[in-house]
Amino acid sequence: MEEQALIEGLRARNKQVQEYLYEKYSRALFGVISRIIFDREIAEEVFHDGFMKIIKKIDNYDESKGRLYTWMANICRNSAIDKTRSKEFSKRNKTNTIDAYVYGMESETGTAEAVDGIGVKELMEDLNDEQRFVMECIYFKGYTHTEVAEEYSLPLGTVKSRIRSAIKVLKKKADKI
Amino acid sequence: MDIQEYISSGKLELFVLGDLNETEQQEVLAMAKKYPEIDQEIAAIEEAMLAIDQASGVTPSNEVKNKVFDSLESENQKYTPPASKGGPLQKEVKLEPGGVPVSNAWKTFAVAASVVALLSLSAAIYYANQYFDVEQRFEIALQRNAVLAEEMQTNQVKMNALDTEMEKFITGNFDKIPMKGEGLPMQEDALVNVFWDKNSKEVLLAVDQLAKLDPDNDYQLWAIGDEGPVGIGLVDPANILGLQTMNLASSAQAFAITIEPKGGSESPTLEKLVVLGEVS
Repeated sequence: MEEQALIEGLRARNKQVQEYLYEKYSRALFGVISRIIFDREIAEEVFHDGFMKIIKKIDNYDESKGRLYTWMANICRNSAIDKTRSKEFSKRNKTNTIDAYVYGMESETGTAEAVDGIGVKELMEDLNDEQRFVMECIYFKGYTHTEVAEEYSLPLGTVKSRIRSAIKVLKKKADKI
Repeated sequence: MDIQEYISSGKLELFVLGDLNETEQQEVLAMAKKYPEIDQEIAAIEEAMLAIDQASGVTPSNEVKNKVFDSLESENQKYTPPASKGGPLQKEVKLEPGGVPVSNAWKTFAVAASVVALLSLSAAIYYANQYFDVEQRFEIALQRNAVLAEEMQTNQVKMNALDTEMEKFITGNFDKIPMKGEGLPMQEDALVNVFWDKNSKEVLLAVDQLAKLDPDNDYQLWAIGDEGPVGIGLVDPANILGLQTMNLASSAQAFAITIEPKGGSESPTLEKLVVLGEVS
């Protein structure tokens, strides 16, 4: 389905189109959330709310500001980040670290994901240390690039160019799959 | 403003990641409107992010799927479309069953006609959109093609240059004169080879090991002959793989490289002698 037709269908609250949207993008969008929230149950809850937000707010989406997916991914990403910063969340998930997620999750949750995805660890393995670090802070933890630059005393330009090169490497990897 | 620099600054990636403030977002949008290259780059980053998320994504469980679909159901029931076209028309069509008065037959016809007109109008708009979309994509493909052609052209030129150098090197009668930094105070491990054809006077140079310079200085090659040192060109320390073609040298007992101010000097600064090699 063309993006334009998809958007029109969503605006008309067409259930078939909404279901098509789910089939096509749920995997990527849930990926965005579960990168940030490791607890599967909470992640699914955030995903449900995020997806419904997309459906309800579709009239706010402005095509001139980017593609539909980018808008949707940012809604999901922000919902996930908001959740991690909520009080209730920090009580339950104090001990989570990036390492625990990237290097521990696959074994915990069994083989279901291993079959249908490449896993974050594999995706990240072509990055060099500097690229990986910046991507982990921004893409996983939801830091802004200015926060990363300040916290780790890196020049802003360096952070930006690392993000750029990291996305290039990741894209290449994703295309191979 | 240098578009290429803007594209490679990483700002567009932050834009797609939603990590820019309102002012910066507006700036990027304005730039994208003005420069198609930027617009295309943004589209490419968006596509990349989708591909990355899709590849590393996780399928949500069926429970969540059912829950979402249920929520869709109740959400759509709650939703009332903004009052517009559809509503009143349908009501009038419903008049049809039963004995229709003559004046109403006209009405029914008019309604049917306007429904047909509305349908064909929306079909026209749909296909026009479709056409526009395809045309746009075609244009992008054309532009990509042009970029590739340009790259190929550049590579062709590079290859031709290499070919010429290689041919010169093979057909000429070159002596190899290694110039070393050993025993000199500047760079002990520096090593640069000069290839000199005494008959044709041609000089080629290959850098093996030579430190990088700050931007205010250059390496300069000297042929030291009967008339004293003659500068025969600047050396690029970063070009390690290629042969560098220098100026002709008619006589030389030795070759040397010194560090000189940007652009080279008339006569060598002997305190900054980096490597030296005698012609055997």
